[in-house]
Amino acid sequence: MEATREIYWNVGHGVVPIMYVLAVLAVAFLAWGFYRRIRVYRRGRPVDRLANLGGRVSRLLVNSLGQVKVMKVRLPGITHASFFWGFLVLFIGTLLVMVQADLMDPFFDTIFLKGDFYRGFSLVLDIAGLVAIIALVGLLVRRFVVRPDGLDTTKDDYIMHGFLLTILITGFVIEGARMAVTELDAAPELARYSPVGLVFAHALYGLGKSSLQSLHKVLWWVHLVLAVGFIASIPLTKFRHMFTTSANYLFSDLGEKGVMSTMDLEDEEAEQFGAAELEHLTWKDVFDGDACTVCKRCQDRCPAYRTEKPLSPMRVVLQLEEAAFRGSEATLIEDVGSDVLWSCTTCRACEEICPAEIEHLDKILEMRRNLVLMEGEFPGEEVTMAVNNVEVNGNPFGLAFATRGDWAEETDMVLMSEDSEVDVLYFPGCYASFDSRNQAVARSFARICSAAGLKVGILGGEEKCCGEPLRKLGNEYLYQAVAAENIEKFQKYGVTKIVTTCPHCFNTLGRDYRDLGLEVEVEHYTLFLDRLLRDGSLELEAQPFDFTYHDSCYIGRYRDIMDAPRQVLQATGGRITEMDASRYESFCCGGGGGLVLAEEKTGRRINVERVGMAQETGTSTLVSNCPFCLSMFDDGVKAAEADLQARDLAEIVEERLKT
Amino acid sequence: MKILVCVKQVPDMASSVTINAEGVWYVDEGLAFRLNEYDEYAVEEAVQLKEQLGGEPDLTILSIGPGRVKEAMRRAMAMGADRGVHIVDDEYYKKDSHQIASMIADFAKDKDFDLVFTGMQSQDRGSGQVGPAIAAQLDYACVTTLVGFEYEDGKITATRELEGGLHAKVKLAAPAVVTCQLGMNTPRYPTLPNIMKVKKKELLEFSPDDFASGDALVVTESMYVPEKKGAGLVLEGDAGEVAGKLLDVLKEKTSIVK
Repeated sequence: MEATREIYWNVGHGVVPIMYVLAVLAVAFLAWGFYRRIRVYRRGRPVDRLANLGGRVSRLLVNSLGQVKVMKVRLPGITHASFFWGFLVLFIGTLLVMVQADLMDPFFDTIFLKGDFYRGFSLVLDIAGLVAIIALVGLLVRRFVVRPDGLDTTKDDYIMHGFLLTILITGFVIEGARMAVTELDAAPELARYSPVGLVFAHALYGLGKSSLQSLHKVLWWVHLVLAVGFIASIPLTKFRHMFTTSANYLFSDLGEKGVMSTMDLEDEEAEQFGAAELEHLTWKDVFDGDACTVCKRCQDRCPAYRTEKPLSPMRVVLQLEEAAFRGSEATLIEDVGSDVLWSCTTCRACEEICPAEIEHLDKILEMRRNLVLMEGEFPGEEVTMAVNNVEVNGNPFGLAFATRGDWAEETDMVLMSEDSEVDVLYFPGCYASFDSRNQAVARSFARICSAAGLKVGILGGEEKCCGEPLRKLGNEYLYQAVAAENIEKFQKYGVTKIVTTCPHCFNTLGRDYRDLGLEVEVEHYTLFLDRLLRDGSLELEAQPFDFTYHDSCYIGRYRDIMDAPRQVLQATGGRITEMDASRYESFCCGGGGGLVLAEEKTGRRINVERVGMAQETGTSTLVSNCPFCLSMFDDGVKAAEADLQARDLAEIVEERLKT
Repeated sequence: MKILVCVKQVPDMASSVTINAEGVWYVDEGLAFRLNEYDEYAVEEAVQLKEQLGGEPDLTILSIGPGRVKEAMRRAMAMGADRGVHIVDDEYYKKDSHQIASMIADFAKDKDFDLVFTGMQSQDRGSGQVGPAIAAQLDYACVTTLVGFEYEDGKITATRELEGGLHAKVKLAAPAVVTCQLGMNTPRYPTLPNIMKVKKKELLEFSPDDFASGDALVVTESMYVPEKKGAGLVLEGDAGEVAGKLLDVLKEKTSIVK
């Protein structure tokens, strides 16, 4: 006899109509559930997230079927992926059975689940079921026994684990009961292709045929009802992430990461700036709340959360979902709370790791825009003062704008107002211009440029803050004002190439200013120096030293520049010992998001935390590539009384110039 | 109710000042300008009063000075004023406090302002006289250096800051001129809708000739940077370095260390 099995064995074909009625009802309920949710998503403002659909679909398939982002966190990720693949195979298997039993066999008289294909089918499904059960038990143990910090368990989690585990186990018991009756004696060779079912069959064999048939019939119905209930419960529970998280890959922001939208401040009719309510955000922001799987990976990496500040990026996303679906007496921004919003350093660790590609930052920044532009609120008086200082003197320190270029007096830097025929314009930014620690970095950079034989210009007193901290604080108005003045100067001198020692200036000039009409090549000095070293314009005498390297957020996660600085440091003779939190997992210095201007009033200090991580490497030098980082680490080293020196990459290079 | 707030645009104090050719004032070049700090308290207090009275009071910002002054006026107006009055005067610095006050009083005399707010002094001239002089010419009551202000039914209860850390509580009736001191309030940061509204608000321009300023009672002879007499010295560097430098200074300039 050819290898196959009788579909609807023991329950009979009479169940088919009932089964389909239930299935259709479940799917209809699922569709209705999502329809109701879609109506809520649409409360957000419109935004196009379907352009370039082909690319989006492949992104969806790779990330959902491939579980690529899920597996970025090893153990729980691979466990989830194993469960997903196991369950997916079972689902496909069930579909194949339906296609054969209710379509191909009755209408086309064709049976394909037979012979070798059936043997393979049996084996694959059995293994898939086993993998799914093992993975699910693993996940269950993690959630309910190990209970990692911050992993919130709700009613949904009980429902979900319950449904899935009982569906899988009843499936095997049903199979075992059927095999005990139909295969153990009659087709033992075939039974070997259902190894897990075989174990259950042996265990159940002693019950005898009629008991086995009763058991089979009862469990068949139980399994069916569970399966139907599972489908119906999808929109009501976190099960919906199967659809919403996958859909989020489809709706991903395909633009460059970490770029904020530029507000239209010319619109005289506008009365609302930033977001105070759900309606001020986009439908995608609302949808993100539904796509969140509450995996807490963002929270685990958030420098604010980890130093006991009120912000958890996950909570912000979930609060949006709550406001959307459960409503609230207060406005969204009141629910979230300004202390939460002001805690964000915009380090992007949350977005980088999120397996659902949720855009945490835009929500926080849109709400900050509301706080500043609609309420005139800043995180503290010291920040209001710094912002006013930028307005008056073009720098947050409130120092005289005319002295901005004074740091360069003993260097070869030329003032653009005196000679604009230069190889490149250096834009030092506020910190390198005014902060004494960072002035040293600017001078080092100037000497490196001289050694490379480059004629480098600066704007001096004509330069203003690039506007980045203002913008990240939510002050789009002042950002655009200072940006316009800088752009005017660049255009006046016909600047075509700019180099910065600040990652914040780098991103702002090179990317954000494009929306304001500036198209110019902007390079961060880590790339600039790497290039000079490789093309031989710059020669170094390597001197060995031990160091650890801090990937600044705005070079690393924002721009994927991780190898160039390491190559430069290797060329200086440095031996690197990496911190655990490096590259994409790097931990912010605490100065991003405009917070370099703010006092850190709650929790532990982020910079001290990071200095502690650097200390653990046992090296004596912490090298960074950003003026905010250097300032934060300088302070952090003092506060921690660490036996560590905070240095900038330019200083290390300058000390090794071949003279 | 009608409120007048007199404001001045002054150089930011971080900038170093160059004396002009006439030797009586500074040159604008190289300076950043801002709203006089004390006037900012005056604007804030006036706006708070307007809010307290449900927005009813009509609030006018007045300033005398060259074209650049409008920038400070717009900032003040964005904090919540209804209109601006700019007396465009490039030679404002040649007028003494009496003349400035006379022009303001001449502007205000037929307009029935209930309250005139201004800073207790400007950060550049620093005479502290304009407020009281306006009051004298308008025959208004006047209180100066306020750190507290309450208003109810035409009655003012104000807290004045005196020397030596003392405060005094005074009562007076409108119409009055009040001058504002540091610590009176925290000036608000203008919101964007208010900044945008300024574009649509009235900003009237007048010529100094439109108002009687009279003759100067005080004439500035010269303005100069005083000779440095033992200025402070800031030692920089790490603890060891600073200690070394300090020792050198002590050796060099005193007989404490030999």
